[in-house]
Amino acid sequence: MLLKALSADWLKLRRTWIGWLVLLGPIGVIGLQSVNYGLRYHYLMKKYEADLWGNLILNVQYLAAPAMLLGITLLASLISGIEHREQSWKQVLALPISRLTVFTSKFTMIQFLLFVACTLLSGGTLLLGGVLGFGMDIPWGMLLLKCYFPWLAAMPIIALQSWLSITNRNQAVPITIGILVSIVSMYAAQMPDWMPLKWPLLVNESHIPIYSVITGLSTGLVIYSLSLVHFARKDVD
Amino acid sequence: MRTLHRIFYAEILKLKRSRLGFILILSPLMAAMLGVMYNLNAEQPGAWPILLSQMAMAHAVLFLPLLSGVLSAFICRYEHANGGWKQLLSLPVSRTGVYISKYVVVATLLLATQLIFMGAVLFIGLLKGIAEPVPWLMLVNSVLNGWLASLPLIALQMLMAIAWASFAAPLAVNVILTLPNLMVIQSKYGIYYPWGQPSLAMLPQNDSFGINVSLETLLFVIGGSFVLFVLAGLAYINRKEI
Repeated sequence: MLLKALSADWLKLRRTWIGWLVLLGPIGVIGLQSVNYGLRYHYLMKKYEADLWGNLILNVQYLAAPAMLLGITLLASLISGIEHREQSWKQVLALPISRLTVFTSKFTMIQFLLFVACTLLSGGTLLLGGVLGFGMDIPWGMLLLKCYFPWLAAMPIIALQSWLSITNRNQAVPITIGILVSIVSMYAAQMPDWMPLKWPLLVNESHIPIYSVITGLSTGLVIYSLSLVHFARKDVD
Repeated sequence: MRTLHRIFYAEILKLKRSRLGFILILSPLMAAMLGVMYNLNAEQPGAWPILLSQMAMAHAVLFLPLLSGVLSAFICRYEHANGGWKQLLSLPVSRTGVYISKYVVVATLLLATQLIFMGAVLFIGLLKGIAEPVPWLMLVNSVLNGWLASLPLIALQMLMAIAWASFAAPLAVNVILTLPNLMVIQSKYGIYYPWGQPSLAMLPQNDSFGINVSLETLLFVIGGSFVLFVLAGLAYINRKEI
């Protein structure tokens, strides 16, 4: 059932420019970093001499973190916005399909698109490093960790934004909240460890990134379950 | 044009009970939080400019350009939602009038945010017990210049908001073009970038960002792009098929 719902959701997204958004986010981040490296090539090469790849990944991550949070906001809003704009929630929910499936299908679609974006980001980082001539000494573990873990650790925010976008007719509310969350997250490094905004940065007191991912995934699951309960009982229009 | 104030009134009526106030106070609220967290030495000379640049950083660099997009999309929401364009434009109103009143409403709302932001700076400054007297001229200048600098951006966002039915679509473009702000405003091309202009106008001159743009240049560029974008918007809405 979920697969059918997913393919219906996929059908609704086709020929919208949502694919371009998924493509443009990573391209934008990599593009900005290539401008950064291009303009200050000699200075940066000297500064980062000790660990060229590692510093490139950190630089990419610096821009990718807020970009990912804004991307989550936009994806969540676009995916549910189709239903809000056409006022088709009643129609969708009148089909012989549980609300749980409808909600989960939208949620899964966001995850899939984010996964694609993360993959593009890691590919782009590799490409940029190659073009800049950093050699073949690529820290694969760090690259994959920095590209995919922030997505998993951001699960509470993904769940929150999906819930807000799906249950609010007025999309200005979830989008404004999402923008605010993304901006505040730029100051997250100085926040205490219990702040969910800090988790996508993979920084914590014990210096073990997987802790951030585990707390992120479990908190995300809790928020997702609560929003499911709310959506299942909600009156739609 | 005689009906302009009536269209304007209708726009305001549509905004009632839409949780707009919530959106307007968010950024000043966040700036206030950042101000409280910032470890300011209240006795040092120039404590006000330091506090202002700390609080204006996130507000002007990211939130102001993003908010101009949110509000523009907001004001076109009802028209896109239920065939509202047909309904609105079949009334005896001119399309130019509709554009102008929508623009004026957004600009006014953004001005309200700016004033709330100024209030937040004053409040935090007094809370921290800054020894110097309140530099009214600098505060008002910063807030008003930031507002003036977002006027071309509003026109540009309005054009996208009118053109695209999806609420998030113009915002996605807005977000993608706002993020480079973090880097663009540090370069000398920053003043030609509509998304970067509000922050350049708002942050105190010669602060840690190292911005060295004379206000005259900035206002000249802003005035030019304002005229350009408004004319483009008017040309578009007058030819748009609804």
